[in-house]
Amino acid sequence: MQFSVRLLGPLVIAVMLLGCATPPPSSDREAFLEYEETNDPIEPANRAVFEFNRALDEMFLQPVSRTYRAVVPLWVRQRISSALDNLRAPVVFFNEIAQGEPKRAASTLVRFGFNSTFGLAGLNDFAKEIGFEKREEDFGQTLAVWGFDSGPYLMLPIFGPSNPRDVVGRVVDIFIDPFNMWTRNTDREVAAFTRGGTDVLDTRTQLLDISDDLEKSSLDLYAAVRSLYRQRRLNDINDGNIDDLSTIPGATNFPSWDNELTNKEISKKP
Amino acid sequence: MTLTLFRSSFLAIFAALFFVSTGIVEAGDMEDNATSFVQDLEKEAVASLTDTTKPRIERVKAFRSLFREKFAVGVIGRWTLGRSWRKASKEEQTEFLELFEDLMVATYVDRFASYAGDGLKYTKTVAVDENMSTVHTEIVRPDQVDARAISVLWRIGRQGDIYKVLDVVVQGASMSLTLQKEFTAIVRNKGSVAGLLEELRKKTAELNQT
Repeated sequence: MQFSVRLLGPLVIAVMLLGCATPPPSSDREAFLEYEETNDPIEPANRAVFEFNRALDEMFLQPVSRTYRAVVPLWVRQRISSALDNLRAPVVFFNEIAQGEPKRAASTLVRFGFNSTFGLAGLNDFAKEIGFEKREEDFGQTLAVWGFDSGPYLMLPIFGPSNPRDVVGRVVDIFIDPFNMWTRNTDREVAAFTRGGTDVLDTRTQLLDISDDLEKSSLDLYAAVRSLYRQRRLNDINDGNIDDLSTIPGATNFPSWDNELTNKEISKKP
Repeated sequence: MTLTLFRSSFLAIFAALFFVSTGIVEAGDMEDNATSFVQDLEKEAVASLTDTTKPRIERVKAFRSLFREKFAVGVIGRWTLGRSWRKASKEEQTEFLELFEDLMVATYVDRFASYAGDGLKYTKTVAVDENMSTVHTEIVRPDQVDARAISVLWRIGRQGDIYKVLDVVVQGASMSLTLQKEFTAIVRNKGSVAGLLEELRKKTAELNQT
């Protein structure tokens, strides 16, 4: 606790010093709309937190994740990931009920029962083999389904990209998780920390390829992550079923192929 | 009288049916063509990227010509620059498109290379409008911890007989939209398109070194 307070102190100061982004004057209509759409009023502070997170990630989390991936065989990592998913199943179940999806909730319940027993405490995802696919639901998504707005973009220290809706969602998910109730009531903090730590390691390791790609290819990593987080959350909320057609280049004003680059000598380019 | 009336309405119905059905056939054609277009793209990309006997620079060159043929680089580029496109000078627009192509080739070459060989599963193709369709595909990667299929959508535009990729959407994340957001942020923070070009020059030089 001491440690996290010491870490958070400078961050709070940074947020206060950097403050908010200055909105463009409403006379510049396009710029103003762009600002509204970006929906990141504390961008300077968020960027500072992002850099802090990246430094922390490079120092601790990334090296540990890379070692984990290099040393621990895929089969073992899959078992661990599967057990973590199984522990999360009650929260998924709760949220499926809350979203008015009883069929999905029933499927999650079957998964949980099957994998907890035959799958040996969730180490194996046998339910998948018989047609009960894994799904991810959380209270942030439930709030979205209920019609709550996400609010402005937030970059949380350590936890990463978020928004007020997802912050509330995260807190509720932690609170309603039976595993957490059990550890709280029986003073098994060690169990809670072990699970939390393993979860972070598992998630970070799975994201290594994507983060390496982004790190290499993006020109403004912060802006790329902000956009990807939003798109990904929207996809999660819609369970991948709604296809946003407004974002196709040329969707409104269909361009002509004639305007394509003139075919210069390709041999000159690497 | 009744007969002619009958005949003309019969003709009208026949004509209507005929046009409706050709309309459907045409739309179906576009979807089929878009699907086989992506299938060809996949085949050619795998062929040009997995030939490890050639040095990387050769593979990138082969991929560039494939990319230029199959991707609407100019259209995507202009769209990603958004409202700044109109503010940019002719010279800036030209340089932007060149650098944009370099960026796309350098980043896609590695993305394609790391996915090539896993094989795309074609699930369905849906028309967006008369000139665009979305080819739905999935990639299954058994070597990953989460072995669930990854959804990859290909936005295919057509003009006449020429089909081109307008966007690639991976698990709901549009590559073009993400680039647009990045470019917008850079132009705003640097204050001009010139500032973005500077960053693009740096990034493409960096990517070409590796």
